[in-house]
Amino acid sequence: MAISELEIRNLIHYYQGKRILNIPFFNVNRGECLVILGPNGAGKSTLLRIASLLEKPCQGEILFQGIKVTTRNELAFRRRMVYLLDKFLFFRGKVKDNLLYGLKIRGVSQKEQLKRLEQMSELFALQPFLESYPHELSAGEQQKVNLARALIIEPDLLFLDEPFSNLEPKFKEEIMVEFSATRKKRSQTTIIVTHNREEAFYLATRLAILIDGEIKQTGKTEEILDFPSCLEVASFIGQETLVEGVVVGQENGMLKVFVANNYIYAFGSAKVGEPVRVIFRPEEVILSTEKPSTSIRNWFWGQVVEIKTLDKVIVISLDCGFLLKAYLTKPAVEELKIERGKKFWAGVKASSLSALTLRDGELKNRAN
Amino acid sequence: MVQEITLNEIIEIIRLTLFVSGLSTLIAFFLALPAAFFLYFNQFPGRKIIIALINTGMGLPPVVVGLIVALFLWRNGPLGGLKLMYTPLAMIIAQIILAWPIIAGLSLAAFQQVDPELLFQAKALGASKKQLVLTLAREARLGEISGIIAAFGAVISEVGAVLMVGGNIKGQTRVLTTAILQETRLGNFHLAVILALILLTISLTINLLLTTWQQKGQKPWRYQSWK
Repeated sequence: MAISELEIRNLIHYYQGKRILNIPFFNVNRGECLVILGPNGAGKSTLLRIASLLEKPCQGEILFQGIKVTTRNELAFRRRMVYLLDKFLFFRGKVKDNLLYGLKIRGVSQKEQLKRLEQMSELFALQPFLESYPHELSAGEQQKVNLARALIIEPDLLFLDEPFSNLEPKFKEEIMVEFSATRKKRSQTTIIVTHNREEAFYLATRLAILIDGEIKQTGKTEEILDFPSCLEVASFIGQETLVEGVVVGQENGMLKVFVANNYIYAFGSAKVGEPVRVIFRPEEVILSTEKPSTSIRNWFWGQVVEIKTLDKVIVISLDCGFLLKAYLTKPAVEELKIERGKKFWAGVKASSLSALTLRDGELKNRAN
Repeated sequence: MVQEITLNEIIEIIRLTLFVSGLSTLIAFFLALPAAFFLYFNQFPGRKIIIALINTGMGLPPVVVGLIVALFLWRNGPLGGLKLMYTPLAMIIAQIILAWPIIAGLSLAAFQQVDPELLFQAKALGASKKQLVLTLAREARLGEISGIIAAFGAVISEVGAVLMVGGNIKGQTRVLTTAILQETRLGNFHLAVILALILLTISLTINLLLTTWQQKGQKPWRYQSWK
């Protein structure tokens, strides 16, 4: 049984007379990366601010490591957590001063401050910037400083509000991969809020789906993708297929990834030999009775194992060595005479696939 | 008739000027900051009116302040028993009233220039209420020092209030401005000009020190334009 770092019970929160959160139970386990995924306006940021004790809920109680949070212990508990806003806001002074802020206000000794500063700047390769001013850095570097000033505190709980949403794609992947590896190495309990599904699938060890102020489902990413608890969840998270493989080569600027007896062509910056995860979006998968000679690079031969109607689309699951889901319209299903057990070619454009690097035992973790 | 003034007397005048204006600016600073913090962190009915009053107070005519203080300290006034009229303390009180709104008004404006989300981030990094206030004070340093500079400049150069409540008593309440006034009236233009130069030099020196402090760590504008 995992240790609960934080527990929220019977939370109800109003904003301007409107009920925006209604959460009977919610908990965060030690060492996990819980991602709260939900559409804009679902109440994600409010939930995060309440969980990090920055805002008092209208109703409900919060337990930090089993102890009920009250006005008296609020500051002491709050100081064992850090919350980072969805934009980088720095104080006057150098990068160094910003990194040390959290330690200074906690009265950490000078010696310990320097030790941790060295550790952090090494971890995020920040040594060249310590004497610079934050506004002189690029957005990617600023986000590294931002994350470093939170991790330097060594908080029991780290709360991140849309941490990677404002970054350019080229920085985003690098920082996300780096952060995820660091988080794992330090077993940093982390709660991330995002509306971006790919980010959520990549980062989460556990996923919570928040829609209209209610947590509709929590569980491992695969569980939620395979068995969404309701239509709302299914239509929000989509029916992405996550596939793990190894980069075996590069062709025409694309990565060649070996997965379950198939080669997948996808974009990414991983190197040969590195394990990666490829995400297929079902709306980008097309089906065909014979393999056409189009520009599409990725074709997989597979058997239909499931046909499910979801809203206005029909979800076809194919076994291609891995489970691949495709969205089709009703006329298309009829035209192709799709039935269970029949075999089809499934095609996905390489340009719509991205391969994300997996690091440090992530493959093993996910197998559990 | 030309009246002589000794070097010792000039030194005494300078000393008193610095003492009165320096101390009143300092006290006004410590009284104005808590008020500015209070107005920054709290919303209540009448807050806007108070801010408007403070902003008006930034341009209070010294003679009016002198009159009000004199009414209180006058022998038959409500505080007449304290016997403060025509003492340096009376001058300090009058100058605090002049300096306070300047520092409070400019500090509040400086606080409001700081991104509230930056303060929220400070809280989210673990700052207590007290540390939040200190962080705000540090972030708004530039504006606060501007307030000190403006307030000190106003009180060291005013003559109305110190004359009314100090009385320009030789060796007791005579400061540079009242001395210049006195010497000019007597036709001692030579001496008046020397005293005026001393006043300007003191003003400049102190402003240089304050400005150096204010501009510390300030990044220069370094973007080249086409022209």
